[in-house]
Amino acid sequence: MAKYSDLEYLKLSKWDKFLYKLGRFFISIPVGIGHFFQKIGKGIASGVKAFGRECADVVNTFKNGDGITKGTFLVMGLGNLARGQILRGLLFLLFEIVFIFYMIFAGGYWMSMLPSLGKQGPAVEYDPVLDTYVTAYHDNSFKILLYGVLTILFIIAFIYTWRQSIKQAKINQEMRERGIRLKSGKDDLKSLVDESFYKTLLALPLTGILIFTVVPIVFMMLVAFTNYDGSHDGYFNNLFHWVGLDNFNTMFSWTGGNKVYSATFGEVLTWTLIWAFFATFSNYFLGMFVAMMINKKGIKFKKGWRTILVMTIAIPQFISLLYVSKMFAKNGIVNGFLLDLGWITQPLPFWDDPTWARITVILINIWIGIPYLMLIVTGILMNIPADLYESAKIDGASGWKQFTKITLPYMLFITGPYLLTQFTGNMNNFNVIYLLTGGGPTNAAASGASGSVGYTDLLVTWLFKITTGAESQYYMASVVGILIFVVVALITLLVYNILPSVKNEEDFQ
Amino acid sequence: MKKVLAIVLTVAMVLGLAACGGGKTTPTNNSNTSPSSELAGEYKALIWCPSEAKELTTKQIEDFNKTNTLGIKINATVNEMSESDAGTQVLNDVSAAPDLYFFAQDQLARLVQGAGIAKLGEGASKTITENDDKAAVAAATTGSQIYAYPLTSDNGYFMYYDKSVIKAEDLGSLEKLIAACEAAGKNFSMETDTSAWYIASFFFATGCKSEWTADSQGKFTSVNDTFNSPEGLIAAKGLYKLQSSKNHVSSSNVSDFSANPASAIVVSGTWAYNDVKKILGDNMGAAELPSFTVDGKTYHMGSFNGCKLLGLKPQTDAKKGAALNQLALFLTDYDRQVERFKTLGWGPANLKAQQQDAVKSNAAQVAINAQNQYATVQGQIHGSWWDIAKVIGTDVKNSDGSDAGLQKALDNYSKAINELFQMSDEVLKAYTVIGSINGTNWDTDFPMTEVSAGVWKSNDKMDLKAGQELKCRQGKSWDVSWGGNANGDNLKVEADGTYTVVLTITNDKGIVTLEK
Amino acid sequence: MSKKNDYDPSAMKQHMGMSAKNRISNTVIYIVLVIMSIVWLAPFVFIVLQSFRCESTWMVGYVVPKQWGLDNYINLAKTDFWHWYTNTFIMALATAVLQTVIVLCMSYTLSRFRFKIRDGLMRFMLILGMFPGMLTMIILYRILKDLNMTQANAVPGLILVYIASSGMGYYVSKGFFDTVPKSLDEAARIDGATRAQVLWKIILPMAKPIVIYTILTAFMGPWGDFVFARYISMNTPAGMNVAVGLNSWLSQDMINSRYTMFCAGGVIVAIPVTILFMCLQRYYVEGVTGGAVKG
Repeated sequence: MAKYSDLEYLKLSKWDKFLYKLGRFFISIPVGIGHFFQKIGKGIASGVKAFGRECADVVNTFKNGDGITKGTFLVMGLGNLARGQILRGLLFLLFEIVFIFYMIFAGGYWMSMLPSLGKQGPAVEYDPVLDTYVTAYHDNSFKILLYGVLTILFIIAFIYTWRQSIKQAKINQEMRERGIRLKSGKDDLKSLVDESFYKTLLALPLTGILIFTVVPIVFMMLVAFTNYDGSHDGYFNNLFHWVGLDNFNTMFSWTGGNKVYSATFGEVLTWTLIWAFFATFSNYFLGMFVAMMINKKGIKFKKGWRTILVMTIAIPQFISLLYVSKMFAKNGIVNGFLLDLGWITQPLPFWDDPTWARITVILINIWIGIPYLMLIVTGILMNIPADLYESAKIDGASGWKQFTKITLPYMLFITGPYLLTQFTGNMNNFNVIYLLTGGGPTNAAASGASGSVGYTDLLVTWLFKITTGAESQYYMASVVGILIFVVVALITLLVYNILPSVKNEEDFQ
Repeated sequence: MKKVLAIVLTVAMVLGLAACGGGKTTPTNNSNTSPSSELAGEYKALIWCPSEAKELTTKQIEDFNKTNTLGIKINATVNEMSESDAGTQVLNDVSAAPDLYFFAQDQLARLVQGAGIAKLGEGASKTITENDDKAAVAAATTGSQIYAYPLTSDNGYFMYYDKSVIKAEDLGSLEKLIAACEAAGKNFSMETDTSAWYIASFFFATGCKSEWTADSQGKFTSVNDTFNSPEGLIAAKGLYKLQSSKNHVSSSNVSDFSANPASAIVVSGTWAYNDVKKILGDNMGAAELPSFTVDGKTYHMGSFNGCKLLGLKPQTDAKKGAALNQLALFLTDYDRQVERFKTLGWGPANLKAQQQDAVKSNAAQVAINAQNQYATVQGQIHGSWWDIAKVIGTDVKNSDGSDAGLQKALDNYSKAINELFQMSDEVLKAYTVIGSINGTNWDTDFPMTEVSAGVWKSNDKMDLKAGQELKCRQGKSWDVSWGGNANGDNLKVEADGTYTVVLTITNDKGIVTLEK
Repeated sequence: MSKKNDYDPSAMKQHMGMSAKNRISNTVIYIVLVIMSIVWLAPFVFIVLQSFRCESTWMVGYVVPKQWGLDNYINLAKTDFWHWYTNTFIMALATAVLQTVIVLCMSYTLSRFRFKIRDGLMRFMLILGMFPGMLTMIILYRILKDLNMTQANAVPGLILVYIASSGMGYYVSKGFFDTVPKSLDEAARIDGATRAQVLWKIILPMAKPIVIYTILTAFMGPWGDFVFARYISMNTPAGMNVAVGLNSWLSQDMINSRYTMFCAGGVIVAIPVTILFMCLQRYYVEGVTGGAVKG
């Protein structure tokens, strides 16, 4: 499909314009993916180059350095201490001492155990005198993996700091040679509330993210390559070990075997995407609709209507959703009410029939989602410049036309990124599914896969079921977790790379 | 100041964590074993029991502290935990788990496999075998090892009904009961959509079996399953009769009696007795399950005869283990079981206690005892069976009720059961070579084939270097592994070369050798 | 959009029929809104009604209690409920304060500073956010356990987990800071203020809506967490929050005796959150629209 110039494009009829846009969209998918991999390739290449430069610089520093600089290679911070930067120097030195002590007393052990993940499992012995069994626990695969990962991170941090120490020794040497005053510890501290204020601000949040997000994610990704499960918990029963790609093989069965996992994954993924699509867009349009109704001139008690809807946000879902779920049971009050009215002669299978259950969760999700959307849309509607509507009115545009020509495009433009996060958020919407259906009704076709998958299970509830299921197959949960990441990442990439740049960050400033 | 602050903070965190994790647990040394009188002392213990039993259990522990002659004082914290979740929670983290906990028997094998429960000593095993009924002993045993103390032996199900709707003459027949419910516009509650426990009722009725064998480690070794059989098809037809009724509700909660539309029948167990009494008052009835008729023959619905058990967490201190063993035996003895029956209505597992008049006259106990003639001792059942078998309910419900449709449900079932064991047989029995070989580091299994009985050879020849180490293991797990000598130490390669790895197993001991 | 009708006299004259049509459409809207209000409020009204129901058991076929009373509320005192409630309240308060500090640090920095790793950092956090949080539950438990912050000490542990990764949720408030003109900062910098002073004296006073929005969302979080909090507290009443505690009453063996109490507890839980939300709704809207859609 050829690309039109602006002028040619304007000449097209409406329908053709639409087709053209659609066509361009699909054409741009492979291009977008191509660009993405190109970017990654470039990133790797430039990373390798930068690493080369760093190495060269280290060598040069050693060659050209004086005694102090050379000494810094062994004693970190020497280049600062010897040249009057006591605070920096001491911190470097302290870091080195701490690192060495850590590696000797703990880190070395964890690193040495990492390849095997432990050698000796627990032993149960009989005590004949007391007529009782006693357990002696030994290696702990879980801790070995966890602290192995932490130790590796620590070693990386050490190498980085070592490099910084050398870099500073070099700079200090050069500056001294040129007779420039070095920054004192006082200057350093001062800069932390001024030019380098961002370091102060970021220190705490990033530390938290490192320990409580990055490390756990790295760990759980590694678990996908082990046999860690309920009967190999690494300490109390059996140690766990590396199994290579076995678990991914179970999932995709590329070496044969039954395809129950790949089939289940396909089925759950399909429903997850359908669910995310309907949950996102039904809420979006209905929320917009409700907001516009409430905001209509002449409607009274605006605040009152809003407050009523917003109650659903304020009340914890585990209370409201559990109740709503029971309302729709076969002998719940909804069916009871309808039966009493005589509208139905037998109860509706809200949760018993796969299709009914799927539709019901989407409908109830509207009940949950509309208030949020209503609030957001209300805010945005207030921000649409009024003169747009004025001029539209002068041109004699009808209400519908104003909506499609002004409101909708404006909304879509502003809320593009929000829709994306909503979509991925809905893919991982654990609460709604777990509290309403628990994943049910059971899907017979998936019974061979761990976790007893149901028709309304999302990938994330499946993951949860595997984790808490009879066999606690943490390794499969981990594989599913990685796959969720891949799916979400692909969708995000597609949207970001293919759609016309949704937003330009600096534009808003 | 180059990012130093951030790094220092990070380091501090890392160290803080690592320091805590640094210490290895050393096994408690109990070389100076002592006679039971030396058990005297104070022990801290955490105990989990269901909420309704909390008060009574606390009292009984106090009684134990007062009356035991060994000078044991248990300083107990009692927390609420339902028996059905206890196993899962214990295995989440055994070190944080309670020392003693009440649990439902279906979790036993899983607890044994997960090492969340301790073996019973000889004395305790003997006491239990002598005093408790057969179903209870079977429930507490896997392989030949007793792992738990039986608390009750009434964890089965029967039928509660509303006397104002159900007439006595309808009681024996499933068809009549369904018709009576439909005529009165009332529901029939039996949890046959989502629970294998209840679905099995129909299959036991026609003589189907699902008998599992587990070894003493809680691992399942074989199954004798006849659900997919002509008898199974009859059972499925019976199940379909219930499932296809518009008045069937898949639930076992007795509050269905007060829902709208209300149920006239709820299949549930003794635990619900007090609640039913509260809702139905004098209209409460309890009876054994009915029979269903297929092709002119009637089949009395079966049930599981299950138990509630008391589990002891594996202990690292022998004295504490022995002291807790005394407490557990006390909590499950005759007097305590009778007391529990009187206060909570829990039917005893103790043979003598079962003969008490009060026990014999309780309506729920009467019903369960009547039903127990048709019950199957639950024993140990594979954890996945519950997930696999519950699908029969959904499958039967969604079928058209024809023989072909019902047969498909059974085929699905037996396929899943077979897959469970195909994996076990092929993967679990096969040996593989693993080690610091072929550029791998104890992370890759190299396949082996059994060339003759007890002799396994690696499928490929391997380039091995001097100093490399290897072992052979079974089922890609370290539960069974053999090395170069009788102690099972790693086999060290003496000289570079291309070898076939050979494992020879004689008298259940394996030795790994290399063949040029 | 319906701004067209009311305030433009010329439009009124052009469309004389509008007024009647308008009345009809307004009536329709009123009807829709009333129906919606009923649907939205019904479950809550029902829950409140259940909480006053004295006749026990879980499901009953009617909504209005036959026997009214405060028994369920009074009986709550006999359980650990108020302990759980205090726990949750402490968690909610601590999370609200600390999370707000962290989110503001993060979002302000990313909005105002341009430093070497900024883009990489933002992209990295975007990627991290794509992993399902459920996955890290087990490992976080072990980390907290090594810090002795589980079971009875679950309260500080959970606070730590709630706030530790909250820096990743900087989008909304960064979006807000992006709309505050940079020229304000620059003017102050020229007057000799340090960066820290700029933040403290100039930006923060202007950021009231987003601060309140962040506090509000952070405060609401701990009340509803039942999966994670359950894992961390491991069935120790001392460390449970209300969601875990109340949910434990819904297990098969307890539901018939505790269900109405569950509803009573739910109502008590909903009260502070609802009041807070109603009072601060305006800021919530400002925060969401000021930040969410632009972040």
